[in-house]
Amino acid sequence: MDLVRHLRYFATVADERHFGQAAARLGLAQPSLSQRIQRLEREFGVRLFDRGGAGGRGVELTEAGRLLLAEARLVLERADALFGVAARVRSGEAGVLHAAVPQDLGSTVVAALVGEFRERSPGVRLALREVAAEVQLAELAAGSLDVGVLRHPCDVAGLELGAVLCRPLGVLLSADAGGEGPVHLADLSGRELVLFPRQSGPALHDDIVNACRLHGFEPGGVISGQDPAFVDGMVLSGQAVTFAARGRDLPAGMVWRPLVGTPLWERVSAAWLRGRRADPAVRLFAEVVGKVLERQGGMVPVAESVRERRTVQIRPATGFVR
Amino acid sequence: MSGNGGARARIREVFASAGVTGWLHATEVDGVHDVAVDADTPVCTASVHKLCLAVTVQRLADEGRLDPREQVEVPAAGRTPGTTGLSVMQDPVRMSLRDLLLLALTVSDNAAAQVLFERVGLEEVNRTTRSLGMRRTVAVHTPRDLVELIEEDGAGDLTYLSADPGALAGVRVLDPARTSRSTPREMTSLLAALWRDEACSAGRAQELREALALQVWPHRLASGFPFDDVRVAGKTGTLPTLRHEAGVVEYPDGGRYAVAVFTRAARTAANQPAADAAIGTAARMAVESLRRRAAPGSRRAATP
Repeated sequence: MDLVRHLRYFATVADERHFGQAAARLGLAQPSLSQRIQRLEREFGVRLFDRGGAGGRGVELTEAGRLLLAEARLVLERADALFGVAARVRSGEAGVLHAAVPQDLGSTVVAALVGEFRERSPGVRLALREVAAEVQLAELAAGSLDVGVLRHPCDVAGLELGAVLCRPLGVLLSADAGGEGPVHLADLSGRELVLFPRQSGPALHDDIVNACRLHGFEPGGVISGQDPAFVDGMVLSGQAVTFAARGRDLPAGMVWRPLVGTPLWERVSAAWLRGRRADPAVRLFAEVVGKVLERQGGMVPVAESVRERRTVQIRPATGFVR
Repeated sequence: MSGNGGARARIREVFASAGVTGWLHATEVDGVHDVAVDADTPVCTASVHKLCLAVTVQRLADEGRLDPREQVEVPAAGRTPGTTGLSVMQDPVRMSLRDLLLLALTVSDNAAAQVLFERVGLEEVNRTTRSLGMRRTVAVHTPRDLVELIEEDGAGDLTYLSADPGALAGVRVLDPARTSRSTPREMTSLLAALWRDEACSAGRAQELREALALQVWPHRLASGFPFDDVRVAGKTGTLPTLRHEAGVVEYPDGGRYAVAVFTRAARTAANQPAADAAIGTAARMAVESLRRRAAPGSRRAATP
C-alpha cells in the first residue's frame, strides 16, 4: 500500500465530508475511493468514517479518524517537503532557489531580503531577479521561478500567497507646486499621471485609475513610464505627478505628500505554485519577504487597509451568483 | 475542426486587455467548425448551470414525471438570497413550475431556481448532462449551497474581499474541483443540442430557446452583437471574480452559433463593465471567424 497516497485520500474525504465530492476532487471513481479508504481502515484496524450521513454519501469522522487525521496531516506535510526538495535536486540545482521581485520594491528592501535569506539559509543560494508581475505569473506556472513577490491585484489562481502586506501610497510632486500636508486626489485634477505600462499589470493599473476618478482626479493624460529616471523627470518638470510609498529616494526638487483618506494602497506578498507549499526554501523566502516588508518597507498587515469600510453596492447585473 | 490561430490570438488579447483570464468555445450549431481557447479546461459554472437544470426540467416533463403547469407555493420566509425575482419579493407567491423556470432563466432568480433544483434533485440534473455526453459537467451545489458556502468561506464580505487578495484562495465555490463545473466545449454542445431539438422534445426546446432570448442582461454576450436582426439567447453566471455567459447567436441568414465564454478577473471589484463587455467582444470575434469560413456570398451581412 502506498501510505502517503492513501493518507491523501483520507484527508480529502475528511475535508469534503462526502465520498462523491472527494472522489471528484481526486479525479477517482467513487467506488474506487471507497475501496481505498476501506483498505486504509483495515491497515489501521479502526474505522475512520461513519457512513450514511446527510445526503446519502455524506460521512463524518469517527473519534479514531479525528485522532489519526491530525497525524496524517503531519505526514503529508513532511512528504510534500520531501518531494519539494527532490524536485530541486532532480533539476540538478539542489542548492539554488529561483526567486523574483517586482520593479520599484526599493533598494533597502531588496538588500535586506538578500542579506537575511543568506544568513538564515546558508545551504541554498538565492538566485534573485527583477521580473514584472505578469511575467512572474507565467514563470511560476512554467516552473522557471520557485517563488515570486507580487503586487496585487493580479490573477493568483493556482498560487499560494504568503502574508499579504500593505502600505498607503502618497503622491510625488515637484517642490515648485508649493503647499504642504496631505493632498486631496481631487486637487490633482488636470495634472498628468505617470503610471507603469498597463500591460505589465492591467488589474492594478485599472484599480489606480478608477480610484483616481472616484475621488475626483481625472488625469489630463496617463503617461506610461516605469524607469525612475524618466518618472522623476516628468514629475520634476511639473507636468505630471505619480504615486509612491513614503520612503522612496527622492531627487532634489521633488516632494512626497500623503493623500487625504488613504484612497490608494500598495499590496504585496510572496507567491508560489500551490504544489510547492512544502519546499523549505520557498517557505523561508516567503517568511523573510514578510519580515523585510514590515521592517524595511514599513508595511502592515492587509487588514489595516480595510479600516475605512466602503460599502460595496451590488447591482443586479453584477451581483454574485447571477 | 478548430478555428484559426489569428482569431484565437485576438481573443486572448481581448481577455488580457480586460484584465481577465478567459476560456471560450464557439461552434456552428449546424456545422463542424469551431473556435477554441482553452475550451476543455474545467470551469466553475455558477448560474450557467441553470441551463442544465432547465433541460432536466423539460426532459422530466417529456417523460411525464413532472407537470410544468403544477402550481407550487413559495412562502416568503426562507427563500434563497439574490438580487432579482422571488429572491427580493416580500410576499408569498403561488406559481407554476414552468414560470419558476422562466424567472430562473430570464433574471437568474435564485429563489425560483432553488425550488426547481430541490424538486428535481442534483443527481437528476447530472443524469441529464451525462446522458447528453457531457462527462465533465457536474452539478455539485444548488444556488442556496453557493450562497451559504460563500458566506462560510468569508467571501461574502465584499469590502474585505476587495482588499485582501489572499481571501479568495480557500473559497470552495471558486475551485472547479469542488463546485458545480463544466467546460466551455461541453456547454456549447448542450446549447447546440437544444437548438437542434436534440436535448428534449421540439416543443419544450422551443420554450427554452424563447426564454433564453428573453434574458434581461445586455452587458455580456449581447453587448458584442449590436445588430437589430441578430438574436442573442443566453444564460449568465457570476461569482466573486467570475463572469460567464453561454448562449446562442442567430443571424438573419440562418447562421446559428453556440458560444460559451467563462472569465476570471484579477480584480475583485464587483462592478467591472470592461470585463463584462470582453465576453461580448470575444464572442463576436469567434463568431465572425466562423462566418468567414462559410462560402463567401452565401451569407448576408447583418445590418447594424
